[in-house]
Amino acid sequence: MTDREILAGAPIALAALTAGLLWCVPRGWVTRVALGGAVPTGGLAVAVCAVAVAGAGHPYVGDRVVVDAAGGLLVGVIGAVGVVSVLASPGYLRTLTRALVGEPRRATTYFAVLYAFWAVLLAVPLAGNLGAAWLLIEATTAASALLVGFSGKAGALEAGWKYLVLTSAGLGIALLGIALLAAGVPGRGLGALSWHSLPTYASGRGPALVVYLLLLAGLAAKIGWAPVHNWLPDAHSEAPAPVSAMLSAALLPTVLLVAWRCAQGMAPVVGTGAAHGVLIAFGLTSMAVAVPFLSRPLVWKRLLAYSSLEHMGVIALGLGFATPLAMAGVAVHIVAHAIAKTLGFAAVTPLLGHEPRAAGQAVTGIGRTQPLLGASLALSLGTLSGVPPSPLFVTELLIIAGGFRAGRGWPAAAAALLLALAFLGLLRALLEVTLGETAVRDSGRPAGLRGVVALAATSAVLLLGLAGAAVWLPGTALVQALIRGVS
Amino acid sequence: MSSALGWVLVGLGLAVLLVRRRSVAVSAVTVQALVLVALAVHAAGGASDRLAAGALAVRSVGLAAFFLLLITRTREPGPVRGGLAPLRRGGLGVALALALTWLVPTVGFASRNAGRVVLAVVALGLVVAATRRATLFQLLGVVLVENGLVLAALQLPRTSWLIEVGVAFDLTLIAVVAGVFHRRIFAEFGAGDTEVLRSLRD
Repeated sequence: MTDREILAGAPIALAALTAGLLWCVPRGWVTRVALGGAVPTGGLAVAVCAVAVAGAGHPYVGDRVVVDAAGGLLVGVIGAVGVVSVLASPGYLRTLTRALVGEPRRATTYFAVLYAFWAVLLAVPLAGNLGAAWLLIEATTAASALLVGFSGKAGALEAGWKYLVLTSAGLGIALLGIALLAAGVPGRGLGALSWHSLPTYASGRGPALVVYLLLLAGLAAKIGWAPVHNWLPDAHSEAPAPVSAMLSAALLPTVLLVAWRCAQGMAPVVGTGAAHGVLIAFGLTSMAVAVPFLSRPLVWKRLLAYSSLEHMGVIALGLGFATPLAMAGVAVHIVAHAIAKTLGFAAVTPLLGHEPRAAGQAVTGIGRTQPLLGASLALSLGTLSGVPPSPLFVTELLIIAGGFRAGRGWPAAAAALLLALAFLGLLRALLEVTLGETAVRDSGRPAGLRGVVALAATSAVLLLGLAGAAVWLPGTALVQALIRGVS
Repeated sequence: MSSALGWVLVGLGLAVLLVRRRSVAVSAVTVQALVLVALAVHAAGGASDRLAAGALAVRSVGLAAFFLLLITRTREPGPVRGGLAPLRRGGLGVALALALTWLVPTVGFASRNAGRVVLAVVALGLVVAATRRATLFQLLGVVLVENGLVLAALQLPRTSWLIEVGVAFDLTLIAVVAGVFHRRIFAEFGAGDTEVLRSLRD
């Protein structure tokens, strides 16, 4: 094994080891072990990210493992989101009145499955071939479905079941694409499906296009791209809030990375225009489906879920435009979206403590009754809506400019219109949530607020830094490395 | 693969789409999987192929036992009606199977017939998952899709045994998690019927 392979495996191994350890330790130790494992795992993931980004010009590309800038970036995001999710989980578990498992094993099961999910998710961006990436994505479904339905409530069971069946069926279609792909590339075994082997598909352009469509249509079900997004709002709203953060901020962009690697690998065979056109079509459809929902009063978690649909669309669009401007926008967009979503979902526990009705209806005026909580919600929603100086404002401008630069004027113009509508919808929600009509509420400080405020302060600094990075990034060697990819 | 065997595999898939009793559907999926095991053993050229065939056999028998256990633990007061009448379901399944065999090229398969059988079984699995209301039937639809893909792996010369074993493991994992959900849905609503899972709407 090479040094980079060992480094890449370290956070995965530590997360898997912690998951195993959690099954063995006495009940009283479970939370301490879970919290103790979080920072080292996240730290190692960020180290992988740093090494990958620093060595962006010389990615490590093997048949089993890939350590490149795009994968490293996602590993860093998964690591950071995972740390916050684990740290926020004890607060969630304290509010739980029932669950899929009985009280004696509740915390053990929750943390062990969360760590297993985290470990598998960390492995996806580093998978060196399509077959292994598919297996890992399918494995994330099993673990995350259990977490989605963890509360055992009727809504959670419904959401978990939909998620399980829809994404499994979708991944079955992707697997059909992989089987057909394997038949057309020279070689045998795992190496035949490595990312750099995909351009060697030799059965002709027509079959390649069918294979590519099967792959992307299958993965779309897991990414949550419209029109196969039905599970997404339900799963995000019914899952425990820390798990929703993992799903939205880490899982969706990670599977999107796999779709992008497929697009890059198949582009020389199906044609760059067709490969990118499919991504643009999914992107625009997702944005168009999300916009009407973003303009309605929605339960906070469902609002964040539809925002995920919109942002996965924006990222797909940027990948489809594939110019340096758009790719710089995509890189910063993924990180900024992850920060804003993690904050938004982390704020759910204090929000429900302050206003229990937030579980079932849109709430207003939180900023008037609990200013610090309102400010945290406003930071999350303001960032997601793209209000300047949100980095998402800059990244969306970069992506649209990249679209025009790529000669895709109509999709870029349509995207600009959809982004403007989404902005108006989210701005209305932002004003309602923070400054809207108030109800009679408990004036005490809700549990978990201090942690959320600390997270909000950290997020604000990071987001401002990202806004600056988004302006600086186009034209750098990092963006060139992202465009080259691993194929 | 002979055309008679192809028809047997497609017929078993069609049975899952049409039958009312869960135990009969589980039997059809299991027989289909065991036929695939026999094909895998017959085609095995080395230790790795035999390992993949063994994993498939364990997965087939294990899932059958698990599904039958689920059925005995969650006795339905009456059969869960399908969202569509059996004839319509069958028609939809056949139509999708024909459409897929027409649209998807079967380049690389050992024979054109084998490619068509793969696509037909996958299509029937998707229609089972989409049109049957009972939770167990929806799960059997996913298993049917995977059976079709196992056949694809057997008929395509370059599939990695590691991926075949991995797919068998992943499917078992998914089935076990789905089983947990099935039991909880049954306990919560008194029936394993997805018609009751319609509370989440915008």
